[in-house]
Amino acid sequence: MIRYMEKHMSKRNKLLLCPICEAVNIDTGKEILCRRCHSKIYKPKRIAYHKTLAFLITAMILYIPANLYPILINKQFGVQSESTILGGIMHLWESGSYPVALIILVASVFVPLLKFLFITYLLISTKYNVNSSRVDKHKLFHITEAIGSWSMVDVFVVAILSVLIHFSGIQIYPGVGATAFALMVFFTMLSALSFDTRLIKKEE
Amino acid sequence: MMKKYALDKLVICNNCHTVHQKIPLHQGGKALCSRCDAVIYRQDDTIIEKTLAITLTAFISLLIAFQSTILTININGLEQSLTLTSLFVVILENEQYLIAVMLVFLIVIFPLMILLSLLTILTLMKLKKSGYLVKRLLILLAYILPWSMVDIFFISILVAMVKLFDYAKIELGIAFGAFILTLILDIFITKNISFYELWNQHDTIYGETHVKEK
Ligand SMILES: [Zn+2]
Ligand SMILES: [Zn+2]
Repeated sequence: MIRYMEKHMSKRNKLLLCPICEAVNIDTGKEILCRRCHSKIYKPKRIAYHKTLAFLITAMILYIPANLYPILINKQFGVQSESTILGGIMHLWESGSYPVALIILVASVFVPLLKFLFITYLLISTKYNVNSSRVDKHKLFHITEAIGSWSMVDVFVVAILSVLIHFSGIQIYPGVGATAFALMVFFTMLSALSFDTRLIKKEE
Repeated sequence: MMKKYALDKLVICNNCHTVHQKIPLHQGGKALCSRCDAVIYRQDDTIIEKTLAITLTAFISLLIAFQSTILTININGLEQSLTLTSLFVVILENEQYLIAVMLVFLIVIFPLMILLSLLTILTLMKLKKSGYLVKRLLILLAYILPWSMVDIFFISILVAMVKLFDYAKIELGIAFGAFILTLILDIFITKNISFYELWNQHDTIYGETHVKEK
């Protein structure tokens, strides 16, 4: 039993969704307390904008050490070898594990870059009123939220390997890159979560 | 005040933010967004009982996943097991404190908190008690929901297995199955009840408290 809902056209630009409880609220343009859950749901727009930007820049800076420093340190009978994220992917590719190499490549290299691009685009387009449909931007925002945690795969894998390869002769440790990477994912998620969807709405 | 109640007759699609007028549904019916086809809400009178049963099972299987062996590898007779405890012991031994803190929150504390608060919310709703606590927990749930990474952790286990495949014999433990069960049940929970529907239940059970308290 599926029924489409009738679209409500009047004053739709003044209505917005509480991100906490999904109640419909009236946009007053100022700080709003949700009428159902009483959460402070929208801060003054300029502050929301700068918060997202600050988290994004922090994440972008962390992306550099996350890729340059070794994510994994391998000690074999006293001989130490290090590998970065890209090095690890290349090693997987050479050893023939193509699907896993691709998963790591997408999750660790492309997903963060894609998120940076998405959030930058959202921030620029809402600031300078770039013409594109509102639906597209909300979809983009949802994709950004959904793919964020995928980047943690590599950090978790290194942590798991450090437990399993823990013998007297051979050991694996997480490197500095792993910490930088985990922090980078954390700040990218904060940036996406702090993004004020009201910024998308206003330009119509 | 009139205007505020009029707002309750409206609903905004969480996916594309289109405003719709709410319509009543038959038992088992779904309301879809006219713009993007996302399910906005459903009518199901047994939703609380059903979801409660699934959530309880998911909670128990997650506890099992945390306490038993995920997998054991064997390299030329040398054995090493992966459990959640051994994970934290080794990471702390390696002095990777930040990774340890992130792991403990993302794969232990937040996932347990989510399932526990959902259990409490549904139980209290069933008993029609403590509306205030239910409301607090629903708000808490909204904040911690994006920070659970049990699914990503499981994928990481699979990736680690592929990396070790050539060197080691791998034996799966009970926790491996328990993780799979938890993740499947988790999908059922999200398919069964949305956040919007939980708040709707809250409103119908405890009455609407949309007038400001202070
Ligand atoms: Zn709210
Ligand atoms: Zn929609």
